[in-house]
Amino acid sequence: MQFDGDTDRSRRAVLKAAVALGGTSALSACLDRTDDDPVPSGDPDAKPPRQHAWREYVRQDDHGNTQLPAHQILLYLRLDADGPPAADDRDALAETLAALDRAYEWSHEGLLHSIAYSPAYFDRFDATLPDGIDLPEPTALSPFESPAFDRQDAVLHLASDRADALLEADRTLRGERETANGVTVRPLSDVFTVDSRRTGFVGAGLPARNQDAAGIPDSEPVPEASPLFMGFEAGFRGNQATEDYVTVEDGPFAGGTTKVIANLRQRLDDWYGEQSHEERVMEMFSPGHAAAGLVEGVGDGLGSDSGIDRFVGDIESDAREHGRVGHAQKAARANRDAEGNVRLLRRHFESTDDIGSDQKVASLHFPSLQRRVSEFEAVRRSMNGTDLTEATPAVRQRVNNGILEYIFVRRRGNFLVPPRRLRVFPTPRPE
Amino acid sequence: MKRRELLQAGGLAGALSFAGCSGLVETRATGVPAVPENRPDGIYYPSHVEGMSMVGKASSGDYTVGLFYSYPHRFWNVTGDSVSLTQIDIDDAVHLMASVWDPETEQVLPETGLSLEIYRDGSLVSQEAIYPMLSQPMGFHYGANFGLEGDGSYTVRLSVGAVSTRRTGGFADRFTDPATVDVPFEYSEAAKNEISFEQLDDRVATPGAVDPMSMEMLPDAFAPPESDLPGTVLGSETSDGARLVVTALETPPDGIDAEGSYLAVSARTRYNRMVIPAMGLSGTLTRGGETVYDGAFERTLDPALGYHYGAAVDGVEAGDELTLSVDVQPQTARHEGYETAFGGLEGGMPDVSIRAP
Repeated sequence: MQFDGDTDRSRRAVLKAAVALGGTSALSACLDRTDDDPVPSGDPDAKPPRQHAWREYVRQDDHGNTQLPAHQILLYLRLDADGPPAADDRDALAETLAALDRAYEWSHEGLLHSIAYSPAYFDRFDATLPDGIDLPEPTALSPFESPAFDRQDAVLHLASDRADALLEADRTLRGERETANGVTVRPLSDVFTVDSRRTGFVGAGLPARNQDAAGIPDSEPVPEASPLFMGFEAGFRGNQATEDYVTVEDGPFAGGTTKVIANLRQRLDDWYGEQSHEERVMEMFSPGHAAAGLVEGVGDGLGSDSGIDRFVGDIESDAREHGRVGHAQKAARANRDAEGNVRLLRRHFESTDDIGSDQKVASLHFPSLQRRVSEFEAVRRSMNGTDLTEATPAVRQRVNNGILEYIFVRRRGNFLVPPRRLRVFPTPRPE
Repeated sequence: MKRRELLQAGGLAGALSFAGCSGLVETRATGVPAVPENRPDGIYYPSHVEGMSMVGKASSGDYTVGLFYSYPHRFWNVTGDSVSLTQIDIDDAVHLMASVWDPETEQVLPETGLSLEIYRDGSLVSQEAIYPMLSQPMGFHYGANFGLEGDGSYTVRLSVGAVSTRRTGGFADRFTDPATVDVPFEYSEAAKNEISFEQLDDRVATPGAVDPMSMEMLPDAFAPPESDLPGTVLGSETSDGARLVVTALETPPDGIDAEGSYLAVSARTRYNRMVIPAMGLSGTLTRGGETVYDGAFERTLDPALGYHYGAAVDGVEAGDELTLSVDVQPQTARHEGYETAFGGLEGGMPDVSIRAP
C-alpha cells in the first residue's frame, strides 16, 4: 500500500492501514467512525501563547468539567548527537511545528499538541535553568516503587477527538506520509529518533470498548458511562488547578509549565472482583463518600466537584474506623495551597499499551501540569498514606490504602513545557 | 499421602471424576476437604496440610526473598474487624508464597509490602500486591493464588517495599528502600502434584496446631524464646491464641527518642511460637492505682527483640500492673486453623494483665 502523498484515500482506509502497522490498538475502537467531515485546518496566528492552553479549545460537560480529547499520543524523542542541538536541527523542528499549526485547527476537532523538554535535554547546555524553574530529574516517589525513568530529550503530546486526524499527524511526523490534512510536514525523524510511541484514549465508552486487555477481568466490568477503566469520573473542575495557576509567572519561561508523565499498569481483577461499588467508592474517594451515598454509578451526580475537601480532615479517623482510606482524600491533603487553590492540573488518559511489549495491558498515562515539579511530588507522596499505615495496621503499604493495590508505576519522566514562543529547542536561559 | 493418591483413593466427593483429567484437577477446589464443621473458637488443627516446594531465592539490597509454591489455598482476608473467605478460583493453578528476610541476621521481615509479577516469554501473566498471611506450618509470609498458562518456564519478579514499621538498633537505618528480584519458575503440574497433601484425621477441628515445617530452605518466622529476649521478662498472657510476652529494658533501643524504660511485647502464636505482626496494641501501666503510662505500643522491628510492640515508659517497678488491649486484630490473612484465632471470625481478643514481679 502506498502512503506517501496519498491524501485522497478515505479516512477509514488511513485508519485501517495505520492499525495494521501495529501499536495502535488503543485507537482501533474508532474504526467504526464514519465521520467524513473535513478536519479543520489551522491558522498559525490563532494559536494561544501557551502550549498547554487546552481547556477553552476542548469539549466541556454539562457541569463545566473538561472533556479531554478522546485520542492521544505521546512521542518520546531523542537527539542522537551530543551537545546542544545544531542550528539546522532548530530550523527543521521549527518547520515541523509550524506546518502542524497550519494543518490543524487548535481544538479537539483539529489537533492539540505540545512539546516539552527534559532535565537531560537542558543538561546539554553549559548554562543552567533559572532558579525559578523547578525541574528535577524524575525519582521514585513511594517506598515501594522502582520505575524506569523517561530521560529522552523531549516529548510531543498530540491530542484530538478525531482519531483520523491524530493518526495522520502522528504518521506524518514519523515520516510514514508526507502530508497531514493536506499540509506538507517535515518529519521529526530529520531531527529526532522516536524512542517510544505511546497511545491512549479517554472518555465515556472508550474504556468499556477497550477492556479486552490484561488487567481487566473477563467479566467486562467497566461501565459504558465511565471515562476511565476504574469506573469513575475524575478531574472534576473544582478539583483541578486552572491553566493560569499552573503557569510559570516570571522569568524567561513565563507562560510555560512543568509536566510530569507517569505510566501505570492497572490490575483491576480484585478492584472489580473482590470489592462492592461501595468499597470502590471508599477507596477511590473516601469512606465519607460511601457513607453519604454521594457517588452513584460513575459519579456524574457529583457535578463539578468531587466534594473531597469535606472529607480530608476525617482521614485518620476513617482509617481507624473503616480500615480503609480514599485515594482522592489522601492526595487532596497535599494538593491545596495556603488559600485552598488546587495545585495540579491532571490530564491522564487510559491505554492498553504495555511499553516494551505488544501485549494489550490496561495502563494509564498520567500527565500532570503544575508550576513546580515538587508540587507534584508532594501530592504523589501524600498518596502513599505512610502516616496512615502508622495509624492503624489495617491500612497497609498498598492494601486498603486508596487505590495503591491496583496501580503499578512503571515509568516516570519530568519535562518543561515552554511557552509557544520558546517551543523550538529552548536554551536554559532564553533571551 | 500425595495429593494424587488421595484423589485416586476417591476419598473425596467428586475427586474420581477428575482423576486422569489433569488439566482440571489443578484448577478445581473439589479435591480440597471442606472447612471443618464445629471448628473451635481458637487455633485448631485444620482439615489438611499442604506441603510446599521452593521455587528459588534471590537477594537485592537489604533483602533476601524466598519464593515457594503449593496447591491453591483458601484463606481468610482480614480488614479491620472484617474477616472474609477467599475461595480457590477455578483458574488458580498455584498458591505462591514469598518470605522476605534480612540476610545478615536471618530475621524474617513482616510488613515490607510485597508485589509480584509473573512473566512467560516476556509476556505478563499476572501482577498483584500480595497479602501478608499466617499459616501454621510457615508462620508469617506473603501469599496469593495465581493462574498460570500451563507447564513451562516463567519468571517471577518480586518487588519488596520498604519496611513500614518503626526500626530500632542495628535496623534503624536499614530496609528503607524497595528492591526487586527475579526468580525463574519452571512449573509443571506433575511436579506440583508431588507436593505432599496430608489429611488430618482425629485431630481435625480440635485445639492445637500442626508442627512448623522444616525450615532448611528459609529462616524461620519464630519469635525469640522467652529466655532469649533481652531485658527482664515480666510475664506473659494469652489472648485468643496470641501469647503476649512482656519484657522490660532499662533504656529504649537506639532509634527511639525517649527517656526511661522500654516495655516490649513479643506476640507469638500459642502453639508454634510464630511471630504475630500487624496488630494495633495499646497498654496501661498502673502503679498503686495511679496510671503511669496509657498509650500505644508501637509496631517495631529490632534485631534483638525481633518484631515487637513497644512503648517507652517512665520506669517499671515491682507490683506495677500492665494491661494490654488489642485494638486492631492482626491484619494478616489466615490459613485454615488460624481464621478463628487472634480475633478472626469470632472476634474477641480479651485484654490481658501482667503484674511486674
